[in-house]
Amino acid sequence: MSDVLRARGLLKTYRRGRAVDGVDLTVRRGERVALLGPNGAGKTTTLLMCLGVVEPDGGTVEIAGHRLPRGRSAAMAHVGFAAGYLPLPERLRVGEYLRMFGQLYGLADPDAQALRGLQRFGIPQLAAAMGTELSSGQKTLVGIVKATMHDPGLLVLDEPTASLDPDVALRVRTGLAALCDERGTALLVTSHNMVEVERIAGRVVFLSAGRVVADGPPLEVAARFGRDDLEEVFLHLASARQASEHTEGLRP
Amino acid sequence: MTSQGFPAVGPARVSRELGIWLRIWAVARRHAYVLVRSPHRLFDVTVWPIVDTVLFGSLGVFFVRQGGPSSPGQAGVAYLLSGIVLWHVVYQAQIAVSTGFMEETWSRNLLSLMVTPLRELELVAGIALFGLAKLVMGVGVVALAAYALYAFDVTALGLGLVPVMAVLLAGGWAIALLVIGLMLRFGNGAEALAWGIMFLVMPLGGVFYPVEALPGFIRPISMLLPTTHAFAAGRDLIDGGPMPWGELALAAVGTLVAVAGALAFLAWMLRVFRRRGYVTRYS
Repeated sequence: MSDVLRARGLLKTYRRGRAVDGVDLTVRRGERVALLGPNGAGKTTTLLMCLGVVEPDGGTVEIAGHRLPRGRSAAMAHVGFAAGYLPLPERLRVGEYLRMFGQLYGLADPDAQALRGLQRFGIPQLAAAMGTELSSGQKTLVGIVKATMHDPGLLVLDEPTASLDPDVALRVRTGLAALCDERGTALLVTSHNMVEVERIAGRVVFLSAGRVVADGPPLEVAARFGRDDLEEVFLHLASARQASEHTEGLRP
Repeated sequence: MTSQGFPAVGPARVSRELGIWLRIWAVARRHAYVLVRSPHRLFDVTVWPIVDTVLFGSLGVFFVRQGGPSSPGQAGVAYLLSGIVLWHVVYQAQIAVSTGFMEETWSRNLLSLMVTPLRELELVAGIALFGLAKLVMGVGVVALAAYALYAFDVTALGLGLVPVMAVLLAGGWAIALLVIGLMLRFGNGAEALAWGIMFLVMPLGGVFYPVEALPGFIRPISMLLPTTHAFAAGRDLIDGGPMPWGELALAAVGTLVAVAGALAFLAWMLRVFRRRGYVTRYS
Protein backbone atom coordinates (compact mmCIF):
# COMPACT_ATOMS: atom_id res chain seq x y z
CA MET A 1 0.00 0.00 0.00
CA SER A 2 1.56 3.36 -1.04
CA ASP A 3 1.69 6.38 1.25
CA VAL A 4 -0.38 9.30 0.04
CA LEU A 5 0.82 11.46 2.96
CA ARG A 6 4.13 11.05 4.70
CA ALA A 7 5.11 13.58 7.38
CA ARG A 8 8.28 13.05 9.37
CA GLY A 9 9.52 14.81 12.50
CA LEU A 10 7.27 17.86 12.20
CA LEU A 11 8.24 20.67 14.54
CA LYS A 12 6.55 24.01 15.07
CA THR A 13 7.11 26.62 17.71
CA TYR A 14 5.05 29.76 18.04
CA ARG A 15 5.72 32.63 20.42
CA ARG A 16 3.48 31.03 23.04
CA GLY A 17 5.48 27.82 22.93
CA ARG A 18 5.97 24.58 21.05
CA ALA A 19 2.80 23.62 19.18
CA VAL A 20 4.04 20.48 17.42
CA ASP A 21 6.92 18.44 18.73
CA GLY A 22 8.24 15.76 16.39
CA VAL A 23 5.04 14.44 14.85
CA ASP A 24 5.26 11.56 12.37
CA LEU A 25 2.10 10.95 10.37
CA THR A 26 1.56 8.54 7.50
CA VAL A 27 -1.69 8.01 5.63
CA ARG A 28 -1.83 5.20 3.12
CA ARG A 29 -3.94 4.99 0.01
CA GLY A 30 -7.57 4.23 0.90
CA GLU A 31 -6.94 4.55 4.63
CA ARG A 32 -9.31 6.49 6.90
CA VAL A 33 -7.42 8.24 9.66
CA ALA A 34 -8.67 10.57 12.38
CA LEU A 35 -6.33 13.10 13.96
CA LEU A 36 -7.56 13.66 17.49
CA GLY A 37 -6.68 15.53 20.61
CA PRO A 38 -7.93 18.18 22.99
CA ASN A 39 -7.82 21.88 22.14
CA GLY A 40 -4.22 23.07 21.85
CA ALA A 41 -2.91 19.57 21.18
CA GLY A 42 -1.47 20.64 17.83
CA LYS A 43 -4.03 19.12 15.43
CA THR A 44 -4.69 22.19 13.33
CA THR A 45 -1.02 23.17 13.12
CA THR A 46 -0.12 19.62 12.10
CA LEU A 47 -2.87 19.61 9.50
CA LEU A 48 -1.85 23.00 8.10
CA MET A 49 1.78 21.91 7.90
CA CYS A 50 0.75 18.73 6.07
CA LEU A 51 -1.19 20.90 3.61
CA GLY A 52 1.76 23.23 3.02
CA VAL A 53 -0.07 26.26 4.39
CA VAL A 54 2.17 26.60 7.45
CA GLU A 55 5.91 26.06 7.13
CA PRO A 56 7.32 23.62 9.71
CA ASP A 57 10.42 24.62 11.70
CA GLY A 58 11.67 21.10 11.14
CA GLY A 59 10.65 17.87 9.47
CA THR A 60 9.40 16.94 6.02
CA VAL A 61 6.05 16.50 4.29
CA GLU A 62 5.44 14.49 1.14
CA ILE A 63 2.06 14.20 -0.58
CA ALA A 64 1.58 11.68 -3.40
CA GLY A 65 5.33 11.65 -3.81
CA HIS A 66 5.65 15.44 -4.05
CA ARG A 67 7.86 17.02 -1.40
CA LEU A 68 6.60 20.29 0.12
CA PRO A 69 7.07 23.19 -0.21
CA ARG A 70 8.68 22.90 -3.65
CA GLY A 71 6.10 20.48 -5.01
CA ARG A 72 3.12 22.13 -3.31
CA SER A 73 1.15 22.94 -6.45
CA ALA A 74 1.54 19.44 -7.90
CA ALA A 75 0.81 17.86 -4.52
CA MET A 76 -2.39 19.85 -4.05
CA ALA A 77 -3.83 18.36 -7.24
CA HIS A 78 -4.08 15.15 -5.18
CA VAL A 79 -5.65 16.80 -2.14
CA GLY A 80 -9.18 17.87 -1.29
CA PHE A 81 -9.79 20.05 1.74
CA ALA A 82 -12.91 21.18 3.54
CA ALA A 83 -13.48 22.61 6.98
CA GLY A 84 -16.74 23.04 8.82
CA TYR A 85 -15.72 26.55 9.87
CA LEU A 86 -15.02 27.89 6.37
CA PRO A 87 -17.91 29.78 4.74
CA LEU A 88 -18.72 29.89 1.04
CA PRO A 89 -17.85 33.13 -0.72
CA GLU A 90 -20.94 35.31 -0.49
CA ARG A 91 -21.39 36.55 -4.01
CA LEU A 92 -21.14 33.27 -5.87
CA ARG A 93 -23.73 30.69 -6.78
CA VAL A 94 -22.92 27.14 -5.73
CA GLY A 95 -22.39 26.08 -9.35
CA GLU A 96 -20.03 29.00 -9.98
CA TYR A 97 -18.10 28.26 -6.80
CA LEU A 98 -17.68 24.61 -7.75
CA ARG A 99 -16.73 25.47 -11.33
CA MET A 100 -14.06 27.81 -10.01
CA PHE A 101 -12.50 25.14 -7.82
CA GLY A 102 -12.87 22.55 -10.59
CA GLN A 103 -10.85 24.86 -12.83
CA LEU A 104 -8.27 25.39 -10.08
CA TYR A 105 -7.90 21.60 -9.96
CA GLY A 106 -7.48 21.56 -13.75
CA LEU A 107 -10.65 19.59 -14.51
CA ALA A 108 -11.54 19.46 -18.21
CA ASP A 109 -15.28 19.50 -17.46
CA PRO A 110 -15.76 21.04 -14.02
CA ASP A 111 -19.52 21.52 -14.41
CA ALA A 112 -20.12 17.81 -14.98
CA GLN A 113 -17.94 16.91 -12.00
CA ALA A 114 -19.73 19.49 -9.86
CA LEU A 115 -23.12 18.03 -10.75
CA ARG A 116 -21.87 14.51 -10.03
CA GLY A 117 -20.59 15.65 -6.65
CA LEU A 118 -23.83 17.43 -5.77
CA GLN A 119 -25.77 14.29 -6.70
CA ARG A 120 -23.47 12.11 -4.60
CA PHE A 121 -24.41 14.10 -1.52
CA GLY A 122 -28.09 14.49 -2.53
CA ILE A 123 -28.09 18.25 -3.16
CA PRO A 124 -28.22 18.79 -6.96
CA GLN A 125 -30.98 21.37 -6.46
CA LEU A 126 -28.48 23.73 -4.80
CA ALA A 127 -26.43 24.37 -7.95
CA ALA A 128 -28.21 27.65 -8.69
CA ALA A 129 -28.43 28.86 -5.07
CA MET A 130 -26.32 31.72 -3.76
CA GLY A 131 -23.88 30.85 -0.99
CA THR A 132 -25.72 33.17 1.38
CA GLU A 133 -29.00 31.28 0.90
CA LEU A 134 -27.68 28.00 2.29
CA SER A 135 -28.07 26.57 5.77
CA SER A 136 -24.86 25.75 7.64
CA GLY A 137 -25.40 22.06 6.89
CA GLN A 138 -25.82 22.74 3.18
CA LYS A 139 -22.69 24.89 3.19
CA THR A 140 -20.74 22.05 4.75
CA LEU A 141 -22.04 19.62 2.13
CA VAL A 142 -21.12 21.99 -0.70
CA GLY A 143 -17.65 22.38 0.86
CA ILE A 144 -17.25 18.60 0.82
CA VAL A 145 -18.43 18.42 -2.80
CA LYS A 146 -15.79 21.06 -3.61
CA ALA A 147 -13.15 18.98 -1.86
CA THR A 148 -14.06 15.73 -3.62
CA MET A 149 -15.04 16.80 -7.15
CA HIS A 150 -11.55 16.07 -8.54
CA ASP A 151 -11.37 12.61 -6.93
CA PRO A 152 -8.38 13.44 -4.72
CA GLY A 153 -6.05 10.78 -3.44
CA LEU A 154 -6.17 12.42 -0.01
CA LEU A 155 -9.22 14.09 1.45
CA VAL A 156 -8.56 16.29 4.47
CA LEU A 157 -11.56 17.34 6.52
CA ASP A 158 -11.26 19.62 9.52
CA GLU A 159 -14.30 19.33 11.79
CA PRO A 160 -16.51 18.43 8.83
CA THR A 161 -19.72 17.69 10.71
CA ALA A 162 -19.41 20.24 13.52
CA SER A 163 -22.57 22.11 12.51
CA LEU A 164 -24.62 19.26 11.06
CA ASP A 165 -27.76 17.60 12.39
CA PRO A 166 -27.60 13.80 12.70
CA ASP A 167 -29.42 13.24 9.42
CA VAL A 168 -27.04 15.37 7.36
CA ALA A 169 -24.05 14.02 9.28
CA LEU A 170 -25.16 10.51 8.29
CA ARG A 171 -25.44 11.60 4.66
CA VAL A 172 -21.91 13.00 4.83
CA ARG A 173 -20.51 9.83 6.38
CA THR A 174 -22.28 7.63 3.83
CA GLY A 175 -21.13 9.75 0.90
CA LEU A 176 -17.56 9.82 2.16
CA ALA A 177 -17.48 6.09 2.81
CA ALA A 178 -18.78 5.41 -0.72
CA LEU A 179 -16.18 7.76 -2.20
CA CYS A 180 -13.34 6.16 -0.26
CA ASP A 181 -14.46 2.65 -1.21
CA GLU A 182 -15.03 3.42 -4.90
CA ARG A 183 -11.99 5.57 -5.53
CA GLY A 184 -9.54 4.42 -2.92
CA THR A 185 -9.47 7.94 -1.50
CA ALA A 186 -7.56 8.28 1.76
CA LEU A 187 -9.26 10.30 4.47
CA LEU A 188 -7.61 12.42 7.14
CA VAL A 189 -10.19 13.93 9.43
CA THR A 190 -10.21 15.91 12.66
CA SER A 191 -13.25 15.93 14.88
CA HIS A 192 -14.30 16.40 18.45
CA ASN A 193 -17.16 13.96 17.95
CA MET A 194 -15.66 10.67 19.10
CA VAL A 195 -18.72 8.60 18.22
CA GLU A 196 -18.49 9.82 14.66
CA VAL A 197 -14.77 9.11 14.56
CA GLU A 198 -15.35 5.53 15.65
CA ARG A 199 -17.83 5.15 12.80
CA ILE A 200 -15.72 6.62 10.06
CA ALA A 201 -12.05 6.04 10.90
CA GLY A 202 -10.13 2.80 10.72
CA ARG A 203 -7.20 4.36 12.53
CA VAL A 204 -6.86 7.17 15.04
CA VAL A 205 -3.83 9.28 15.87
CA PHE A 206 -4.05 11.01 19.24
CA LEU A 207 -2.04 14.16 19.82
CA SER A 208 -1.34 15.71 23.17
CA ALA A 209 0.95 18.69 23.81
CA GLY A 210 2.14 18.49 20.22
CA ARG A 211 3.17 14.84 20.33
CA VAL A 212 1.66 11.62 19.05
CA VAL A 213 0.59 9.68 22.13
CA ALA A 214 -1.36 6.91 20.43
CA ASP A 215 -1.73 5.55 16.91
CA GLY A 216 -3.88 2.58 15.94
CA PRO A 217 -7.40 1.22 15.41
CA PRO A 218 -9.95 2.98 17.66
CA LEU A 219 -10.70 0.05 19.95
CA GLU A 220 -7.03 -0.87 20.34
CA VAL A 221 -6.18 2.71 21.27
CA ALA A 222 -9.00 2.81 23.82
CA ALA A 223 -7.80 -0.50 25.29
CA ARG A 224 -4.22 0.76 25.49
CA PHE A 225 -5.43 3.55 27.78
CA GLY A 226 -7.61 1.13 29.74
CA ARG A 227 -10.79 2.84 28.52
CA ASP A 228 -13.93 1.61 26.85
CA ASP A 229 -14.10 4.08 23.98
CA LEU A 230 -12.39 7.07 22.34
CA GLU A 231 -14.44 9.62 24.24
CA GLU A 232 -12.97 8.37 27.51
CA VAL A 233 -9.47 8.47 26.04
CA PHE A 234 -10.12 12.03 24.91
CA LEU A 235 -11.35 13.09 28.35
CA HIS A 236 -8.40 11.37 29.99
CA LEU A 237 -5.90 13.21 27.78
CA ALA A 238 -7.69 16.53 28.21
CA SER A 239 -7.67 16.25 32.01
CA ALA A 240 -4.03 15.11 32.01
CA ARG A 241 -3.16 18.18 29.92
CA GLN A 242 -5.03 20.47 32.29
CA ALA A 243 -3.30 18.93 35.30
CA SER A 244 0.08 19.38 33.64
CA GLU A 245 -0.66 23.02 32.83
CA HIS A 246 -1.83 23.59 36.40
CA THR A 247 1.36 22.05 37.80
CA GLU A 248 3.48 24.18 35.47
CA GLY A 249 1.57 27.22 36.66
CA LEU A 250 2.36 26.41 40.31
CA ARG A 251 6.10 26.15 39.66
CA PRO A 252 8.15 29.01 41.07
CA MET B 1 1.17 6.66 -13.79
CA THR B 2 2.90 9.81 -12.63
CA SER B 3 6.63 9.92 -12.12
CA GLN B 4 5.99 9.39 -8.42
CA GLY B 5 4.11 6.18 -9.05
CA PHE B 6 0.63 7.48 -8.33
CA PRO B 7 -1.98 6.50 -10.86
CA ALA B 8 -3.59 9.28 -12.86
CA VAL B 9 -7.10 8.30 -11.78
CA GLY B 10 -10.24 10.41 -11.74
CA PRO B 11 -11.85 12.83 -14.14
CA ALA B 12 -10.16 14.18 -17.27
CA ARG B 13 -7.81 17.07 -16.67
CA VAL B 14 -6.37 19.72 -18.93
CA SER B 15 -2.66 19.84 -19.75
CA ARG B 16 -0.21 21.38 -17.30
CA GLU B 17 0.27 24.49 -19.47
CA LEU B 18 -3.44 25.00 -20.01
CA GLY B 19 -3.98 24.40 -16.29
CA ILE B 20 -1.99 27.56 -15.46
CA TRP B 21 -4.20 29.72 -17.72
CA LEU B 22 -7.33 27.99 -16.49
CA ARG B 23 -6.46 28.83 -12.88
CA ILE B 24 -5.74 32.46 -13.74
CA TRP B 25 -9.01 32.64 -15.65
CA ALA B 26 -10.94 31.03 -12.76
CA VAL B 27 -9.66 33.68 -10.35
CA ALA B 28 -10.44 36.53 -12.77
CA ARG B 29 -13.98 35.26 -13.35
CA ARG B 30 -14.63 34.80 -9.63
CA HIS B 31 -13.79 38.49 -9.09
CA ALA B 32 -15.92 39.56 -12.03
CA TYR B 33 -18.92 37.88 -10.33
CA VAL B 34 -18.14 39.78 -7.14
CA LEU B 35 -18.02 43.11 -8.99
CA VAL B 36 -21.26 42.53 -10.87
CA ARG B 37 -23.09 41.48 -7.70
CA SER B 38 -21.75 44.28 -5.50
CA PRO B 39 -23.08 47.57 -6.88
CA HIS B 40 -21.06 49.59 -4.36
CA ARG B 41 -17.85 48.18 -5.88
CA LEU B 42 -18.82 49.85 -9.15
CA PHE B 43 -18.31 53.24 -7.45
CA ASP B 44 -14.56 52.84 -8.00
CA VAL B 45 -15.01 52.66 -11.75
CA THR B 46 -17.98 54.97 -12.25
CA VAL B 47 -18.68 57.56 -9.56
CA TRP B 48 -15.17 58.39 -8.32
CA PRO B 49 -13.71 58.81 -11.81
CA ILE B 50 -16.48 61.32 -12.64
CA VAL B 51 -16.04 63.10 -9.29
CA ASP B 52 -12.28 63.39 -9.91
CA THR B 53 -12.81 64.70 -13.43
CA VAL B 54 -15.30 67.34 -12.30
CA LEU B 55 -13.09 68.36 -9.36
CA PHE B 56 -9.85 68.81 -11.28
CA GLY B 57 -11.45 69.97 -14.51
CA SER B 58 -13.43 72.71 -12.75
CA LEU B 59 -10.39 73.73 -10.72
CA GLY B 60 -8.46 74.25 -13.94
CA VAL B 61 -11.29 76.17 -15.60
CA PHE B 62 -11.61 78.43 -12.57
CA PHE B 63 -7.92 79.38 -12.57
CA VAL B 64 -7.91 79.97 -16.31
CA ARG B 65 -10.85 82.35 -15.97
CA GLN B 66 -9.04 84.22 -13.22
CA GLY B 67 -6.08 84.79 -15.54
CA GLY B 68 -7.99 85.73 -18.67
CA PRO B 69 -7.86 84.24 -22.17
CA SER B 70 -4.13 84.84 -22.68
CA SER B 71 -3.23 83.35 -19.35
CA PRO B 72 -0.43 80.74 -19.35
CA GLY B 73 -2.80 78.81 -17.10
CA GLN B 74 -4.61 77.64 -20.26
CA ALA B 75 -2.28 74.65 -20.39
CA GLY B 76 -3.09 74.00 -16.76
CA VAL B 77 -6.55 72.67 -17.59
CA ALA B 78 -5.04 70.17 -19.97
CA TYR B 79 -2.37 69.23 -17.39
CA LEU B 80 -5.04 68.65 -14.77
CA LEU B 81 -7.32 66.64 -17.05
CA SER B 82 -4.56 64.53 -18.61
CA GLY B 83 -3.15 64.09 -15.12
CA ILE B 84 -6.40 62.72 -13.77
CA VAL B 85 -6.86 60.37 -16.73
CA LEU B 86 -3.34 59.02 -16.27
CA TRP B 87 -3.69 58.96 -12.48
CA HIS B 88 -6.65 56.64 -12.83
CA VAL B 89 -4.42 54.14 -14.65
CA VAL B 90 -2.22 53.88 -11.54
CA TYR B 91 -5.18 54.08 -9.15
CA GLN B 92 -7.41 51.51 -10.87
CA ALA B 93 -4.54 49.07 -11.41
CA GLN B 94 -3.53 49.31 -7.76
CA ILE B 95 -6.97 49.27 -6.15
CA ALA B 96 -8.26 46.40 -8.29
CA VAL B 97 -5.40 44.12 -7.28
CA SER B 98 -5.32 45.18 -3.62
CA THR B 99 -9.08 44.90 -3.10
CA GLY B 100 -9.13 41.66 -5.07
CA PHE B 101 -6.77 40.15 -2.53
CA MET B 102 -8.79 41.71 0.30
CA GLU B 103 -11.93 40.08 -1.08
CA GLU B 104 -10.31 36.68 -0.54
CA THR B 105 -9.58 37.59 3.08
CA TRP B 106 -13.04 39.13 3.69
CA SER B 107 -14.76 36.03 2.32
CA ARG B 108 -12.34 33.79 4.26
CA ASN B 109 -11.48 32.03 1.03
CA LEU B 110 -7.72 32.27 1.36
CA LEU B 111 -7.20 28.94 3.14
CA SER B 112 -9.36 27.12 0.60
CA LEU B 113 -7.35 28.65 -2.25
CA MET B 114 -4.05 27.75 -0.63
CA VAL B 115 -5.04 24.08 -0.59
CA THR B 116 -5.40 23.91 -4.37
CA PRO B 117 -2.76 23.80 -7.12
CA LEU B 118 -3.14 27.59 -7.46
CA ARG B 119 0.24 29.32 -7.11
CA GLU B 120 0.58 32.70 -5.45
CA LEU B 121 1.61 34.43 -8.67
CA GLU B 122 -1.33 32.87 -10.49
CA LEU B 123 -3.67 34.31 -7.87
CA VAL B 124 -2.17 37.76 -8.34
CA ALA B 125 -2.23 37.36 -12.13
CA GLY B 126 -5.90 36.37 -12.06
CA ILE B 127 -6.81 39.36 -9.92
CA ALA B 128 -4.69 41.64 -12.14
CA LEU B 129 -6.38 40.27 -15.27
CA PHE B 130 -9.76 41.11 -13.78
CA GLY B 131 -8.29 44.45 -12.69
CA LEU B 132 -7.48 45.25 -16.33
CA ALA B 133 -11.18 45.13 -17.12
CA LYS B 134 -11.87 47.46 -14.20
CA LEU B 135 -9.09 49.74 -15.35
CA VAL B 136 -10.55 50.00 -18.85
CA MET B 137 -13.90 50.91 -17.30
CA GLY B 138 -12.50 53.44 -14.82
CA VAL B 139 -10.10 55.16 -17.22
CA GLY B 140 -12.74 55.08 -19.94
CA VAL B 141 -15.20 56.89 -17.68
CA VAL B 142 -12.63 59.59 -16.83
CA ALA B 143 -11.72 60.07 -20.49
CA LEU B 144 -15.36 60.25 -21.54
CA ALA B 145 -16.24 62.65 -18.71
CA ALA B 146 -13.25 64.89 -19.60
CA TYR B 147 -14.40 64.97 -23.22
CA ALA B 148 -18.09 65.48 -22.45
CA LEU B 149 -17.68 68.10 -19.72
CA TYR B 150 -14.51 69.98 -20.73
CA ALA B 151 -14.02 69.07 -24.41
CA PHE B 152 -10.65 67.49 -23.52
CA ASP B 153 -9.77 64.63 -25.86
CA VAL B 154 -7.07 62.51 -24.26
CA THR B 155 -6.57 60.49 -27.45
CA ALA B 156 -5.25 63.68 -29.09
CA LEU B 157 -2.03 62.96 -27.22
CA GLY B 158 -1.46 60.19 -29.74
CA LEU B 159 0.30 56.85 -29.53
CA GLY B 160 2.78 58.28 -27.05
CA LEU B 161 0.10 57.64 -24.46
CA VAL B 162 0.50 53.88 -24.81
CA PRO B 163 3.98 53.52 -23.26
CA VAL B 164 3.12 56.15 -20.62
CA MET B 165 0.04 54.18 -19.62
CA ALA B 166 1.94 50.88 -19.70
CA VAL B 167 4.52 52.24 -17.26
CA LEU B 168 1.79 53.63 -14.99
CA LEU B 169 -0.08 50.30 -15.09
CA ALA B 170 3.03 48.43 -13.97
CA GLY B 171 3.63 51.12 -11.33
CA GLY B 172 0.10 50.56 -9.96
CA TRP B 173 0.73 46.82 -9.79
CA ALA B 174 4.01 47.36 -7.96
CA ILE B 175 2.20 49.40 -5.29
CA ALA B 176 -0.50 46.70 -5.05
CA LEU B 177 2.13 43.97 -4.49
CA LEU B 178 3.60 46.08 -1.72
CA VAL B 179 0.17 46.52 -0.11
CA ILE B 180 -0.59 42.78 -0.33
CA GLY B 181 2.77 42.03 1.26
CA LEU B 182 1.93 44.37 4.13
CA MET B 183 -1.49 42.74 4.54
CA LEU B 184 0.13 39.29 4.68
CA ARG B 185 2.40 40.52 7.44
CA PHE B 186 0.10 42.81 9.44
CA GLY B 187 -3.34 41.42 8.65
CA ASN B 188 -6.45 43.37 7.78
CA GLY B 189 -5.16 46.33 9.79
CA ALA B 190 -2.97 47.16 6.78
CA GLU B 191 -5.97 47.45 4.46
CA ALA B 192 -6.15 51.22 4.88
CA LEU B 193 -2.78 51.44 3.13
CA ALA B 194 -4.39 50.41 -0.14
CA TRP B 195 -6.02 53.83 -0.28
CA GLY B 196 -3.67 55.75 1.99
CA ILE B 197 -0.56 55.00 -0.02
CA MET B 198 -2.20 56.54 -3.09
CA PHE B 199 -2.61 59.83 -1.24
CA LEU B 200 1.18 59.80 -0.77
CA VAL B 201 1.97 58.93 -4.37
CA MET B 202 -0.42 61.50 -5.84
CA PRO B 203 1.30 64.69 -4.59
CA LEU B 204 4.80 63.20 -4.73
CA GLY B 205 4.35 61.68 -8.16
CA GLY B 206 3.88 64.97 -9.96
CA VAL B 207 0.52 63.94 -11.33
CA PHE B 208 -0.61 67.51 -12.12
CA TYR B 209 2.56 69.58 -11.94
CA PRO B 210 6.29 69.31 -12.59
CA VAL B 211 8.66 68.36 -9.80
CA GLU B 212 9.87 71.97 -9.67
CA ALA B 213 6.51 72.98 -8.18
CA LEU B 214 7.21 70.90 -5.06
CA PRO B 215 9.09 72.28 -2.03
CA GLY B 216 12.81 71.76 -2.48
CA PHE B 217 13.31 69.16 0.21
CA ILE B 218 10.59 66.89 -1.25
CA ARG B 219 11.91 66.96 -4.82
CA PRO B 220 14.55 64.21 -4.40
CA ILE B 221 11.88 61.82 -3.11
CA SER B 222 9.62 62.75 -5.99
CA MET B 223 12.39 62.17 -8.52
CA LEU B 224 12.89 58.65 -7.18
CA LEU B 225 9.31 57.67 -8.01
CA PRO B 226 9.02 56.20 -11.51
CA THR B 227 5.50 57.58 -11.84
CA THR B 228 6.91 61.12 -11.62
CA HIS B 229 8.77 60.60 -14.91
CA ALA B 230 5.76 58.97 -16.57
CA PHE B 231 3.54 61.94 -15.68
CA ALA B 232 6.27 64.32 -16.85
CA ALA B 233 6.32 62.43 -20.16
CA GLY B 234 2.53 62.86 -20.35
CA ARG B 235 2.87 66.63 -19.91
CA ASP B 236 5.55 66.76 -22.62
CA LEU B 237 3.02 65.17 -24.96
CA ILE B 238 0.40 67.77 -23.93
CA ASP B 239 2.87 70.51 -24.80
CA GLY B 240 3.12 69.04 -28.28
CA GLY B 241 6.76 68.10 -27.94
CA PRO B 242 8.42 65.03 -29.47
CA MET B 243 8.20 61.66 -27.82
CA PRO B 244 9.97 62.15 -24.47
CA TRP B 245 12.15 59.05 -24.65
CA GLY B 246 14.44 60.19 -21.86
CA GLU B 247 11.64 60.55 -19.31
CA LEU B 248 10.03 57.34 -20.55
CA ALA B 249 13.27 55.39 -20.17
CA LEU B 250 13.71 56.70 -16.61
CA ALA B 251 10.11 55.79 -15.83
CA ALA B 252 10.42 52.31 -17.36
CA VAL B 253 13.67 51.45 -15.59
CA GLY B 254 12.35 52.81 -12.30
CA THR B 255 9.14 50.82 -12.69
CA LEU B 256 11.06 47.62 -13.45
CA VAL B 257 13.09 48.13 -10.29
CA ALA B 258 9.89 48.87 -8.32
CA VAL B 259 8.12 45.74 -9.62
CA ALA B 260 11.16 43.56 -8.89
CA GLY B 261 11.45 45.08 -5.41
CA ALA B 262 7.74 44.62 -4.74
CA LEU B 263 7.88 40.98 -5.88
CA ALA B 264 10.87 40.32 -3.62
CA PHE B 265 9.05 41.99 -0.71
CA LEU B 266 5.91 39.94 -1.40
CA ALA B 267 7.91 36.69 -1.49
CA TRP B 268 9.54 37.62 1.82
CA MET B 269 6.20 38.45 3.46
CA LEU B 270 4.71 35.22 2.11
CA ARG B 271 7.49 33.26 3.81
CA VAL B 272 6.78 35.10 7.06
CA PHE B 273 3.05 34.42 6.55
CA ARG B 274 3.65 30.69 6.18
CA ARG B 275 6.28 30.49 8.93
CA ARG B 276 4.11 32.23 11.53
CA GLY B 277 0.87 30.53 10.53
CA TYR B 278 -0.93 33.83 9.84
CA VAL B 279 -3.46 32.03 7.64
CA THR B 280 -5.46 31.35 10.79
CA ARG B 281 -6.30 35.07 10.84
CA TYR B 282 -8.47 34.45 7.81
CA SER B 283 -10.09 31.12 8.65
